[in-house]
Amino acid sequence: MAEVIFDKVEKVYDNDVHAVHDLSLEIRDGEFVVLVGPSGCGKTTALRMVAGLEEITDGKVSIGGRVVNDLTPKERDIAMVFQNYALYPHLSVSDNIGFGLRLRKTPKNVVEERVAWAAKLLGLTPYLNRRPKELSGGQRQRVAMGRAIVRQPQVFLMDEPLSNLDAKLRVQMRAEIARIQHEVGVTTIYVTHDQVEAMTMGDRVAVMRRGELQQMAEPHKLYNAPNNLFVASFIGSPAMNIVEADVMRGDGGVAVRIGDQELPVPEDVVRRRPALSGYAGRKLALGIRPEHLEDGILSRNGGARLKGRVLITEALGSEILAHVEVKATPVVTEDVVEGAVVDEAEHEIAADLLESGNGDRSTFVGRFDPSSQVRPDDEIELVVDTEKLQFFDLETGHAIHESAV
Amino acid sequence: MSTAERQAELALPSVAERRRKKRSGFADNWWRHLVALIGVVIALFPVAYIVSAAFNGDNSLSGSSLIPRQLTLDNFRSLFGTQRHTTGHATFQNAHYLSWFGNSMIVAGGTALLTVLLSALAAYAFSRFRFRGRRMGMLTLLLIQMFPQLLAVVAIYLIVLNTGDVFRFIGLNTLPALIIVYLGGAMGVNTWLMKGFFDTIPSELDESARVDGATPAQVFWGVVLPLAAPVLAVIALISFISTLNEFVIASVILETQQKFTLPVGLWQFIDQKYSEHWGPFAAGVLIAAIPAALLFAFLQRYIVEGLTQGAVKG
Repeated sequence: MAEVIFDKVEKVYDNDVHAVHDLSLEIRDGEFVVLVGPSGCGKTTALRMVAGLEEITDGKVSIGGRVVNDLTPKERDIAMVFQNYALYPHLSVSDNIGFGLRLRKTPKNVVEERVAWAAKLLGLTPYLNRRPKELSGGQRQRVAMGRAIVRQPQVFLMDEPLSNLDAKLRVQMRAEIARIQHEVGVTTIYVTHDQVEAMTMGDRVAVMRRGELQQMAEPHKLYNAPNNLFVASFIGSPAMNIVEADVMRGDGGVAVRIGDQELPVPEDVVRRRPALSGYAGRKLALGIRPEHLEDGILSRNGGARLKGRVLITEALGSEILAHVEVKATPVVTEDVVEGAVVDEAEHEIAADLLESGNGDRSTFVGRFDPSSQVRPDDEIELVVDTEKLQFFDLETGHAIHESAV
Repeated sequence: MSTAERQAELALPSVAERRRKKRSGFADNWWRHLVALIGVVIALFPVAYIVSAAFNGDNSLSGSSLIPRQLTLDNFRSLFGTQRHTTGHATFQNAHYLSWFGNSMIVAGGTALLTVLLSALAAYAFSRFRFRGRRMGMLTLLLIQMFPQLLAVVAIYLIVLNTGDVFRFIGLNTLPALIIVYLGGAMGVNTWLMKGFFDTIPSELDESARVDGATPAQVFWGVVLPLAAPVLAVIALISFISTLNEFVIASVILETQQKFTLPVGLWQFIDQKYSEHWGPFAAGVLIAAIPAALLFAFLQRYIVEGLTQGAVKG
């Protein structure tokens, strides 16, 4: 068990791809940290540098106070779970799990004892004599976990360990991995492109993009106070609604104008963000989470409202997702598009979106109470929880934060 | 035409169809059997001749029929007996057959084993490591392979002759020299073949083993080689059989009866007009085929077994 520290780590591949740029992270002893980001953001490279499978171009990585830059994977005392499990097909489950121990010349009875312990923890005891090919995907995944925990290493490294499982199993294993990590208490670095995994599993989440760390924080902080437009649009599903807005200063305080509609900004929101008044008369990017929008009919007590037309609705049982077209200029900077698009295949669509430029209509996604009666083509009013509005600089993409005081 | 007639006419084809379906077993498949039969005949015809000749008392080929007039084991006896044969340029004892057989096993077995080992090492490096000259190295291997070894016979003879002056044990008329020459001969193809196979073994397996604490050598012996068993078996088999058959280089390097391999030794039985000993020759060939067949039977298990299944998500 140990803390892992990235100190200004750089990685440049032979083909001049700058995979990781000036990465500094501190991962505390026993902590579960998730590295998350779209494909190609350098998260896997960062993990492999901790494992010793990738050379570190510059900077320092230390594990438990020891700089490991020049140590072999063997000397680093780590365990890694690979995306495709990487089980040894010619060995039985128990030999797979005990492989690392046997390499370290651990006495036979100790190996057996440890393997039995790991198998019990993972529910693999009945399968110990089977070969990997005789196991289901979920069982193989457990064997890979078993191989990692059996050695009680200083650090667990997990590279998208769940992405080969089907949706249901993934949810189940998510809880399982979190449970096991909690039980053995080993520092864990977990890489995924799935922000839901990141949010549900991590003690802290580090969002990366193009080799750079965007923000590292607890999940709730990441969600409620994203550092920039990229993090704002990447974290959360459905994604945050982000539109251009003009900041206006009137007698009644500060308001934002979206299209031809106005939303008053509550006084304490402005007070907590001293920088906001500086934007008076200028444009900024306004973010609204879907759960902070509600069907106007269901909310009688006034509040700030936006008019719009319903495009489609998705009834999920516990809630209704309503896609509502509002007259407003959407923000389609690269930050937002890249954050919203996780799947590689969607990149083309995203590129199209960028090219088509800013229309004057935006689609807001609202998370409505299931009792809402909205139908497509209805003209409705959206009630906006203005306390929860988020503001970003349009140029830099940086959040206009609440000041510390 | 009445309705009934029309119905009958409509019904007819379906009856015929049904009948054809019933008979499809042979009617549709007879040609497959024919092809298979022709294949079997082509494959077995030479074998039949050799077997026939081996058990035939007659020493000539032209006069003998496929089915021997009288069965005899004389040919086999003469291989292991002390009877003297005199051919045009040499007098020799058939008792050397055992030495030839032994030499062939040593040379073929040694070549097979070392070929597998050497090309596995080379292929592992080419498949897993990135180093300067990797591409050039592979291309060179391929290029060298394009020239038949036969072209180099003179050069090989001279090299071996001269090396023998310094290192007696790999000079002319020694088995190690022959093995070394054979090793060089097939390295390229085998390395390429094996590299292709290694490339299909996910590199995550190596990485996983390294993280588990394995040294590169342990990764090679403990993870990669067991998984490559099928290709190792194929290469061992191919090189064993081709070495067992090789004549030209063996006849150049080996000089004395005690050092001959089977092809060189047996050749003496039939290399003279009017005094060929086809009977003992056939008997000798028949015995020589046994180890190759046994090796094949033994290695088949590995060739068929797809060991990489289940390594990664399938």
